Order: sequence, then C-alpha cells, then structure tokens
Amino acid sequence: MTHDAASVRALLGEILAALASAPESDETRSLRERLERFVAHSDDALTPAVLLEASAAPLGAMRVFPKEARGLVGSKANAIKQVAEAALAAEKEAALAQALAAERSGAGFDATLPPPHLACGSLHPITQVTRELEDLFTSMGWTILDGPEVETEHFNFDALNISPDHPARDTMDTFWVRTAPGDTRLVMRTHTSPVQVRAMRRLQPPFRAIVPGKVFRNEALDASHEHTFHQMEGLVVGKHVSVGHLIAAMKTLLRGIFGREIEIRLRPGYFPFVEPGFELDARCPFCTEGCSVCKRSTWIELLPCGMVHPNVLKAGGIDPEQWTGFAFGLGLSRLVMLRFGIDDVRHLLAGDVRFLEQF
Amino acid sequence: MKISYRWLARHVDLSGASAVDIARELTLSTAEVEGVESFLPHLSDVTVGHVVHREKHPDADKLSLCRVDVGQGEPLQIVCGAPNVRAGLTVAVATSGTTLPGDFKIKKSKIRGVESNGMICSERELGLGVEHDGIWELPAGLAVGARLGAALGLEDWVIEIDNKSVTHRPDLWGHRGIAAELAAILRRPLKPLDLTLPATGGGAPVGVRIESDACSRYLALRVEGARATRSPLWLKSLLLAVGQRPIDLLVDLSNFVMLDLGQPNHLFDARQIGSQGIVVRKARAGEVLKTLDDVERKLEASDLLICNGEEPVALAGIMGGEGSKVTDDTAQLVLEVAAFHAPTVRRTSARLGLRTDASARFEKTLDPELVPRAAAHLVRLLQVEQPEVKLAAPATDVGQWTSAAKTIRLRGERVRMLLGADLDDAAITDILVRLGFGVAKDGDALAVRVPSIRGTKDISIEQDLVEEVGRIYRYGNIPEIPLAGILVPPPRDERRRLVRRIEDRLAGSARFHQQISYSFVPDTTILKLGLQSTPHVEVLNPITEGASRVRRSVVVSLLPLLEPNRRRAAEVRLFEVGKGYEPVGGAEPTERHEVALVLARPARKANARFDDTSLALLQGVVEDLVRSLGFEACAWSRCEGTASWAHPGRATALRIGSQETLVGEVAAIEPGLARALGLSGEIESDVALARLSVDALLGATPRARRYSPLPQFPATRVDVALALPSERSAGEAKAALERSGKGLVSGLELFDVFTGERIGAGRRSLAWHVTLSAPDRTLNEADVKKFLERVEREAVQLGGELRRE
Repeated sequence: MTHDAASVRALLGEILAALASAPESDETRSLRERLERFVAHSDDALTPAVLLEASAAPLGAMRVFPKEARGLVGSKANAIKQVAEAALAAEKEAALAQALAAERSGAGFDATLPPPHLACGSLHPITQVTRELEDLFTSMGWTILDGPEVETEHFNFDALNISPDHPARDTMDTFWVRTAPGDTRLVMRTHTSPVQVRAMRRLQPPFRAIVPGKVFRNEALDASHEHTFHQMEGLVVGKHVSVGHLIAAMKTLLRGIFGREIEIRLRPGYFPFVEPGFELDARCPFCTEGCSVCKRSTWIELLPCGMVHPNVLKAGGIDPEQWTGFAFGLGLSRLVMLRFGIDDVRHLLAGDVRFLEQF
Repeated sequence: MKISYRWLARHVDLSGASAVDIARELTLSTAEVEGVESFLPHLSDVTVGHVVHREKHPDADKLSLCRVDVGQGEPLQIVCGAPNVRAGLTVAVATSGTTLPGDFKIKKSKIRGVESNGMICSERELGLGVEHDGIWELPAGLAVGARLGAALGLEDWVIEIDNKSVTHRPDLWGHRGIAAELAAILRRPLKPLDLTLPATGGGAPVGVRIESDACSRYLALRVEGARATRSPLWLKSLLLAVGQRPIDLLVDLSNFVMLDLGQPNHLFDARQIGSQGIVVRKARAGEVLKTLDDVERKLEASDLLICNGEEPVALAGIMGGEGSKVTDDTAQLVLEVAAFHAPTVRRTSARLGLRTDASARFEKTLDPELVPRAAAHLVRLLQVEQPEVKLAAPATDVGQWTSAAKTIRLRGERVRMLLGADLDDAAITDILVRLGFGVAKDGDALAVRVPSIRGTKDISIEQDLVEEVGRIYRYGNIPEIPLAGILVPPPRDERRRLVRRIEDRLAGSARFHQQISYSFVPDTTILKLGLQSTPHVEVLNPITEGASRVRRSVVVSLLPLLEPNRRRAAEVRLFEVGKGYEPVGGAEPTERHEVALVLARPARKANARFDDTSLALLQGVVEDLVRSLGFEACAWSRCEGTASWAHPGRATALRIGSQETLVGEVAAIEPGLARALGLSGEIESDVALARLSVDALLGATPRARRYSPLPQFPATRVDVALALPSERSAGEAKAALERSGKGLVSGLELFDVFTGERIGAGRRSLAWHVTLSAPDRTLNEADVKKFLERVEREAVQLGGELRRE
C-alpha cells in the first residue's frame, strides 16, 4: 500500500458532495452507490486497479454533474487516477526488484558442475624450453643456427679435433651410417658441436650463436639415458674472448633459465674440441642441503664448456692468434626434465598424449 | 678408477687433508670424483683380542671354547670352530653388535648349549683375503682392545675417479700421478722413489726381436728365485681397497706396479719363452690365441702379439695367453714392460670386446720412459719381500722410441687473455714448476719444458699449458666479464619464424598436441608401409635390431602412435615439425623440413554431415594454417602419385599462391595400413594424415597483409542447390557460381551434399549459401533474379539443373 487511502476517500467524498447537488436520477443513484462502495472499501481493497475504476466512474458520468461542479469533479477524479498510476508504477518497480533479487540469489546454481572440456593443444616441453632460451639469447644478439642430424664424420669428429683413433670416439657411442666404401662417411650426429665449424665457415667473426637440436648416442635406454635427445650448443668467437666471458655468459644463461642468480663453479673437464675444457656445475636450484636431484651434493652437473681449441678454429678457417672463443653444450632434454620434474627421459619422445597434454 | 687414500699417502704427505678434502681438490683442479667411500668400515669396529684360555667345547669335538681378552672387563667367552685357535694368540674379535661384510651381524648366541659372545675372525670373514684355513693370527704386540683397522694401519678411503674425465691423462692412471697432482695443489713435495734397476749379473739376457712399429719399446728381464707366495697385508689391503682381488705375491706386485705408476707389465714363466727369445709381431689372419680367461681369440693382421719365437704367448697390451700363467713350480720369470701403439691396442681390444686394466692404460698412449722405471719398481718391491730374488742377466731394452718431452713457448699475455685472470709471469711460473714443468725465460715469454710423462698426449701446444695454469690457479678465482661489443641484431631466421607460427597455430586454435619423435623408424612400420625397398639413410649399429632406418618423412613417425593413443582417447590430434632424410649416393643426404599432422577419430556415423570426416576436418586445419601464414588462394585437387600412407582414392594436394606452389598433401589413411596399424575393428577409426613442406612454404611468397574497406552496403544471401551429374566436382560447381555472380559473389559456403531419388540416379545435389554484394549499391530483387537465371544456365551446361530451395 503505497498510497494514502484516506486522501483517496477524501477526494471521493468531495466528488460525492458534488453529486449531491445534482438532480436525482437512476444514473445519479447508480454513480453514488458505486462511489460509496469505493469509500467503504477497506484500505487493502483500494488497489491501484480499483482506484483506476474509482477515477473512471465519475469521469465516465460527467454529464450527471451540474455544469459548475464538473471542473472540480474532473480534477478530483484525475487526482485519484494519478494516485493509482503512481501506485501501479511503484508496484511494477517492486516486482522488477524482486525478480532481479530472485535472479541474483543464484538459487539452484552449482559452481562445481564441471564445465565442458575444450581439449586444447600443446607445444612440446622441449619446444617450450628451447624457445625460452632462443628468446633469451637472441635478445643478447646471438644468432640461432641449425645443422643436419645426419652429419659427416668430418664435422662430427675430425674438424672438432677428434682424430680417428681418439678414445673419445668410443665414449661417444656413435651411430654410423651405412655408406659405400670411399664415400663421405656419415654418422647420426653425436652432439650439436659439428655446427661450430659449420658456423665458423659461414659467419664472419665476431659472432655469437646457439644451435638447438636433436643428437644421437648408441646407449641402452633407461630412465635417464636415451639414444635420441636434445642439446643446445653455444659458440662465441671474438677478440680477447676469455674464460671470464664464458663465466659471465653462463651465469646469464642460468638467470634466464631459473629466473634468479644461481651460483656456478667450473672444474676441469676433458673434451677434445675445447682447451681448457670445463664441466659447469650449478648450485642445486631445488635445495640447500642436498636432495635427490643433486644426488646430495648441492651441485648439479649442468653442462660441458670450454675455450674453443685452436685446431677447431683453424678447421673453421679462423686464425686462433687473432680470435678466441668459447663454446658450451647444454643438455636440453635434461633441462626440460629438471624444469618440469619429469622423472623418466623416455617420456619425452614416446608420443603419449597423456604426457603431451600436460604442457 | 678407484684410488686409495692410504696408497696416495705413500707418495705425498697428506696430513691435515682428509679423503673428502682431497676429493674436492681433485674435482676443482684435476678430474671428476664420483664418490668417496670408507674401505672396510667394519675394521674400526673389530677389536684386537688375546686368547687367554682355550678348551674343547663340552659338546662338540671340532669346536673350541675360548676366553678372549678384548681389553674391557672380564675376558669374553667365545666359541670358535677354527683348528688353529689356541691360547696366547692375538686375534681379531667381532663382538656382538658388529656387522661384517655380507651384512653378517654378530650377536650373542648359544652354540651347542654354550654361550658365545662374539666371533674370532678369519681374514676372509673380514673381507681381507680369500684364505680360509683358520682364524687370522695377528702379529703379537698389538695392543689388546685396540680397533683393528687403526692397529694395523688399514684405515683407508676409496676415491672413485670418473674414467672419462682422465682419458687424456695417461699419467693419472696410477697413484703416483694423482699424488703428483696433489703435491702441486697442496704445495707439498712428491716423496722420492728409487726407480733405478738394481745391479744385475752378467748372464745371457732375454733375446727380443721387434718386428712391428706398433711396439716402440720392449724391456725383458730374467728374474730368478721369485716364488708365488702370499702377499703381505700392506699389499693385499691396498689392492683390495682399489677393487683388485689379491692372488699371490707375483701377480699382486705386477698389478701394484701398474696401479702405482700406470704402467702395465707382465710376468712370464721363463720356460714358456724358452730359448728362442721374444718376438713382437703382428698376427697373421686366422691365427688363434687362447687368452688367460680361457677364451679362444680369432686374430686379425692388425693385432699385435708377443711370441716365444713362433708361438703367440700374449695379446700385446691386453692379456696374456693361457699358458703364460706363472705356476707354483715356476723357478724363473721373465718380466715384460713395454710401450705399445695406443690405437693398435685400442682397436684390438674394442674388436674383441676385451677391455682390461692394461688395455685401458695402453690406449691412452703411455710414456715410453716409464718402461725401465716400472721394471725397476717391480724388482725392488719383490726384493724387499723376497731378498733372495736375483737378476742373473742384464735387462734387454730395445726398440725405437722417442721421448715425449718437449719445450713449448708460453706467452704470459696469452695466459692472461685466455683466462681473463690477472696472473703475472711469476705466478704462472710457480704453478708450472709445482706441476713438474721446467720453466725458463724466452725473451718476453716463457720456455716451458714438458716432461715426457705429460707430453705423450695431453700437452702439445701453448693453449694446453694455459689449461694447466688455469686449473691449478682455480677457475673459481677468475672474475666474470660480461660480453661486450656492438650489438647487431642477428639476421632474421625466416624458417624459425615460420616454424614458430605453424606450431602456435596448430597447438593453439587447431588444438593439436606437438610431438617430437625418434628419427629412427622401426622395420615393422617400414613393412606396413611397404617401403622395404625404398632407399633410406641407415645406421650400421642400430640400438635394437630392426630400427636402423632414418625417416624420410616425418609423417611416418606419427603412425605407430595412433593405435595406443586412440585406445585411450576417442580423438587423437598430433603434429610434429621435424626433418626427414633421403640418401644421396656418395654425398650428404637431402634434408627436408616437414610438418606432419594426424587426426584420428571414431569411425564416421552413417548420418553424419557430408563434411564430418577426419579428412575434411584436417583439410580445414591445414587450410586455416596456410591462410594464417598469409597465403590467400588455396586450391585443393586430387593428389596424384600419393605417399605410401595415403589412401590412393582419397588424397588431396594443396597448392598456394599465384605460382600454385604444391605445399603439401592431406589424405585419408591407406585402408590396408589402417588395418595393419590396428585402427580397425575394436577401435575402428577415421584417420587423416597430412604432410606440409616447410621448405615449400618458405619458398612461396605470402600475400602482404592489406586492409580492405568494410562493405558500405548490405549483402544479400541466397541459397542455391545445384543438382549435377555425380562426376561434376564441387570445384566445378563453385566456379560456375562465381562466374554467374559476375563479381558480385563475396561468399560461398557449401552446406549440404545429398543424393537420392529426389535428385535422380547418377546425380548429386550441392547446396550453397551464396552471399552477393556490390561495393557501390544495395542489390535488389532484380539482381538476385538475374544471378539465378545465370546459375540456371550454368547448371544446364554442366548437365544438371538449379533446384530452388
């Protein structure tokens, strides 16, 4: 009840008073009775619809009123109509508010109903990590190079200072490719390092390059050994490039990979194509006291690196007296496993969608 | 390779440096240490005891009841079964709570009703030997109650060195070499060792004839009066620490000298050599030698042999012949110490799969100057144990060898530049001298004298010396220097950019999973594809039999993945970007960069929409991909000469650009292959495959992206169905509609294909949504009417009709 029933009755009373001055007739009587019924309505019964009727009754029977009263009756009846319309609008608004409130209550909504499964695609984890590293290095002006997976013996070994009788050839567990006697001898490349010499022959020093790619070793498979895995070679050739530069570059690399400063150490390592050669250990990013990843040593053997051997520079047509350089070989597969906590290297290339869709 | 801490201490004072300290020093300056372990740790739990009383066990004839003083309270009652136990002996006692090798826990127990509080141990039970003829009778005078390990000086630690980290350092394959490193690192002197041969008698030396240049030096020495007795404890324990089983004094000393100086050697029974003397020669093809391990070895002409005149008695540098064993009745020995050609030893050992401690050392190129030193070392050690041993005749020391000693010019400036460390010449000199190099001034550089033992392999050029300085100076002391220089953006790598866009589109909106596969293709797949006789790049030594071929095309790698993945999921969407190789006789193989896609879904339902096939969907994916790369005009055609995996009747080729460059093919799977791959029956699948050439895409020119103005006038849509003879292609129908539009057709979408009675036999209806628009006006009824009239004429020309929908 938004309107004032008393004022409506007062208005009706004034109309009835005007009616009293009208000559008696059936019409007059009938109108009076109707108006009196409205006056007699309880407050609740005076709904906006009833009020509309109450206003329409005198307006529809205006000619029974004396001429001089018609103006007054009209204004009173319109006043009742306005009250009715205002009440109607208020009622409508209240109903809307109620409806909105009901809608907003969220009754019957189950937030835990599973949404439809839109199976999305995925980039291979090796691709993801490779891209991160490519972006990191290109942002520092390094070039990205590619090289063949089926490589010549020359680039895979000889040009890298690994002579035919070098014991390192045994430790490389090489897959040899069937070739006719006298033809260029081919191997499945055992490392991304052959691209070092290919790069030297193509690019003019100074240059900086990385080479991500697939490599092959004839090794028995287990959770940590694969015959096919991914590496990323890095090579810098320039004036006065030193071990100090190598250390700085490796620290930058690790900052890029782990997103924070990582302590490193270089210790001697032997690789025929670098001199001096190093193994680079990183302080274990997963623990401070020793964990399963670092085999309780707090150091992770991360990558072999070193200063490019003068013989390799010569094989690439670069004068080792004029130029020096450093190189490193990052185990991408291993890094991917570290990054995502993958416990078995064999998952990487197995092509099980249940594995791939996790990335 | 195992290194004994106690053994090292024979050569350099290690006081104040624990095994763990040494391991760290070696790691940072010399070689990779894989671990440090305590040698026979239980020796510090076993106690020296004194048997104060022995009587027969009351209930067993062969057992003794002993009371043993272990220095703590009352003597312990111990039951012992050894025949040699007796009062007065000093013995090794494992009291209850001690754990002996083999996880053997000693507990208080009752033996035949009598309490026994421990065990009196034999050498074997302590892990110190193979003898088992009773308990160990310790030397009298050891303090009762002392820890056995400490009392006998047997406490030791085993440092495991990664062999791969010392392949370039033949000098480190013996304890003295490692000790020399430690001497340099710790700034302590290497203890002197007399390596001169003792005086010999004037008898007739052993005849030696070298017939092959694979032997550069051969020393033979007659040794008289040596007996194969048991080795003393010091020798046995050192050998045990490094994992060598003690045999007898002669074998053990021979091994000791190898592990001490890194120089293998061999002792022959002189009777085997006989009077003909030693001949070192290459084997004859087909010759056979039974080696000490009782295996008949078939020899080749590249193998080097030691012969007694004619008969081979040893495979040089690898293993002795079966008959060359020294036996109990050996009265006279011939000691061999030699220098063999490393690659010869390596090749024979690799071919025969016979790697021994000796071959591992010889293949590293040993210093020929070690030969007489090792001989002297062995003889001197032998004479200490058996003073009666005599050298009746001078040593025969023949061959043509050159010392590996050399002088290298080293510029201090070069050291500082390469290391990036501020080391003056004095500091450089100090390090080199500590490492045993001789250093003299050479103008403004240094003349560095490299001793023969370091010169055979590792050190030959100036940069090798830079490493020597750096590793002793420690790389950790070198400051980091950021790379500087003018940054020039690297040239744009178009292929890498293209591959990234392809990967992103396929893994993104196309919702494919990226796979990276092995490059080898299993023969089973090759057979299913019928590619047995297609030339492939092939490896000679595959990881498993039947996986020797390298893929020519990336698609092939995805095939074996279909069945297992389909078994787990209704839909399989995989792609791979990779390389395929095609062999080229006499040269490097042709490399192809490819994108491969597979889409496998459950078999199509009978009432499925005409375009609800894996083939159509995959074409859609490929077309979207190619458009996303900026290629506009895509033309599909029936593919001729299809790949082995493609359905010969349902293969499509995609051409792009104005040059109509063929960039790839999309096809349903070859039906026989589908069955062979297990994609029928239980997991009946609708499979489509695609191959795109990255090289072709790179070669094609994408249309430069340009804005086209948005239409200003509304378009009109009209649906038309063309009922055409079945042999008319959708492409022809599409072209007919485009012609009919006279430039007004701005969109064409096929929405239904059907056949049936209503259409008539031999005909099919293609229903299209056609969008008509003009750039300059709103089209009206008349335009549409004219369009439909033209379509009708075209339809009739194609032998069909226009059906009004």
